[in-house]
Amino acid sequence: MKKPRRLLNSILFLLLFIVIGLPFVPLVLSSVSFGWQWPNVLPESFSFRVWEYVLAGSSGTWSAVGVSLLIAFIVTAVNILLAVPAANALVRYSLRGKWLIEAIVFAPIIIPPFVAVMGIHLTFLRLGLTETIFGVVLAHISPTLPYMVRAIMISYNTLSVDWENQARMLGAGPISRFAHVVLPHLLPGIAAGASLSVLISLSQYLITFIIGSGQVVTLPILLFPFISGGDPAVASAYSLLYAGIAIMALVGMDIALKKYYQNKKIATGKG
Amino acid sequence: MKKFLLIAPGLLALTLAACSQETGNVAVEETDNLLTDDWQEVSEASAGQEVNMYMWGGNDNINRYLDEWVAPRLKRDHDVELNRVPMNDSQDIINQLIDEKSAGKIEGSMDIIWINGENFKAAKDNELLWGDFTGQLPNFNEYIDQEAPEIATDFGEPVEGLEAPWGKAQFVFVHDKSKSETPPKSMDELAQWVRDNPGQFTYPALPDFTGSAFIRHVLYETTGGYEQYQRPAAEIDDLEARLEPMWQYLNDIEPYLWREGETYPESLAKQDQLFASGEIGITMSYDPALAASEVLKGRFPESTRTFVLDGGTLANTHFLSIPFNSSAKAGAMVAINEMLSPEAQIAKLSPENWGDLSALDLDKLAPEQQQAMNEVDLGEATLPLDELEEHRLPELSADYIEIIEKGWMEHVAKD
Repeated sequence: MKKPRRLLNSILFLLLFIVIGLPFVPLVLSSVSFGWQWPNVLPESFSFRVWEYVLAGSSGTWSAVGVSLLIAFIVTAVNILLAVPAANALVRYSLRGKWLIEAIVFAPIIIPPFVAVMGIHLTFLRLGLTETIFGVVLAHISPTLPYMVRAIMISYNTLSVDWENQARMLGAGPISRFAHVVLPHLLPGIAAGASLSVLISLSQYLITFIIGSGQVVTLPILLFPFISGGDPAVASAYSLLYAGIAIMALVGMDIALKKYYQNKKIATGKG
Repeated sequence: MKKFLLIAPGLLALTLAACSQETGNVAVEETDNLLTDDWQEVSEASAGQEVNMYMWGGNDNINRYLDEWVAPRLKRDHDVELNRVPMNDSQDIINQLIDEKSAGKIEGSMDIIWINGENFKAAKDNELLWGDFTGQLPNFNEYIDQEAPEIATDFGEPVEGLEAPWGKAQFVFVHDKSKSETPPKSMDELAQWVRDNPGQFTYPALPDFTGSAFIRHVLYETTGGYEQYQRPAAEIDDLEARLEPMWQYLNDIEPYLWREGETYPESLAKQDQLFASGEIGITMSYDPALAASEVLKGRFPESTRTFVLDGGTLANTHFLSIPFNSSAKAGAMVAINEMLSPEAQIAKLSPENWGDLSALDLDKLAPEQQQAMNEVDLGEATLPLDELEEHRLPELSADYIEIIEKGWMEHVAKD
């Protein structure tokens, strides 16, 4: 009984690995190829010219990686601060016209964000917010916040008010009620929302480009000219680097979350 | 409370506007002097400035030439910091400047922009460029033939000192010598070649820049030369009828094109990819040294060669300009002057750096500089400079290009 299941699992794993891993193979090959003529399946010879350019100091890749991650994490932190009270209100209070508020919060998922950003650009220009990381962070919030609110709302839906009432009867104040009852229950939702928020922020080109006006250089800003009409080999190398950074950010957050739960377990176990 | 919420951003905006207004006026006065000062004073004013150069960033050779050749020399010799800002499309530069102008942003961060053709015309029409600065540059005065039509006008638009020529480009066809020994040297020969080699030729779908340029060659050769189009399109009454042979030609070859002409590559990059992978036999480029640099990169085969038509191919010039709201105009002038120096232009000519044709007049250079220019190894894939020079045709002005691009959709793409 156990054996076939293990077999099935490993086949599934293999399939998944192929589906996810296979698209990366041509990217890797293209980034190191030197002369790749049809109908050859593999390049005739290899060269590290492209990687040398991408990783060299003068191309500014590393500072772009740093700026990308900095923006993604600030955006995510701000999103959490905004989304927790928003989700709380949207799930637990019944107000008139709630559907309208929900519609406004979720609108950026449906309306392309750059439509709004075109208009925001002029206002930001007048306020002196363009060309600053702060301005770009503000602009990134619009496409990312809805996902964070959505994820935390789902967590709130499964959290009964009874739990907090119980804690209140046992004498817990609002802060410790939130910290010890609400937050642990919300964490999986926050983690899911945060992953989406980081990924979406990392992938923004147009918004960063318009608001940052070329002075806030993230990885997509370097990558795009090569994709549309430049050098496919350089574009491949940048794409791989981009995927690597995104995966690292996600895995990093996952590890941090697991650690938190582990500490929690130890703490409650001891208590 | 509510009222305050409304007033606060308003006040903030007003204060910000007032601040920028004040500093702005001083800045405008100071920088206008730069257009009349001695070069010595400009040079002194530039020391310590940081210059942002906004340009298309999709070629690692060009990026490297600026980051590793130009920038260190500017820093060392003039204490000017050059910071290259990669753009996806020069059109974006213009859009951004238009927004900055309407928002009244006086101290912008674009100091040098790389433009030509339609973008220059848009910038000039919207008054986005600073002023007549090229006459101030020593290297411009010394080495550039200011009377030459390709320097004095940009796609038919008078330059008026608003931009300085940085380099020249000429349209060439690219083929693989090992596959086709004798390339077609006229549009008639090309039509024959296409019939003999079905599926081996195509051109990027308009409005791609290079695809559009290819069609202008068809126009010149099938309708009796370029001379008739050297005046505004509106002055030619029977333009529609004159263009007819061009559509005829394009529709005649269509069944023999790549994928039987059912579709066209969406960009030159896609077409180059088809050529690189051997799917088609001819590609084209508005950069005569691009093929050589692609061979160096291993993307195009060693047997790649370029050729021009016997009747000539289109040539144009690309320029550097300074926007109206640059905050480092002195630094920008010094940087542009350096990029027009014989040393910088000779380095730019080498396919290892970039392979872009020099904007300088060869006759104005010192003998040893001329020699250095001629000794640059352009690579086997590039035609000799004098052969290119002998086959130059002037560009069409933007109003024709618009008519042709719309016409192509109607006459060729739709059927």
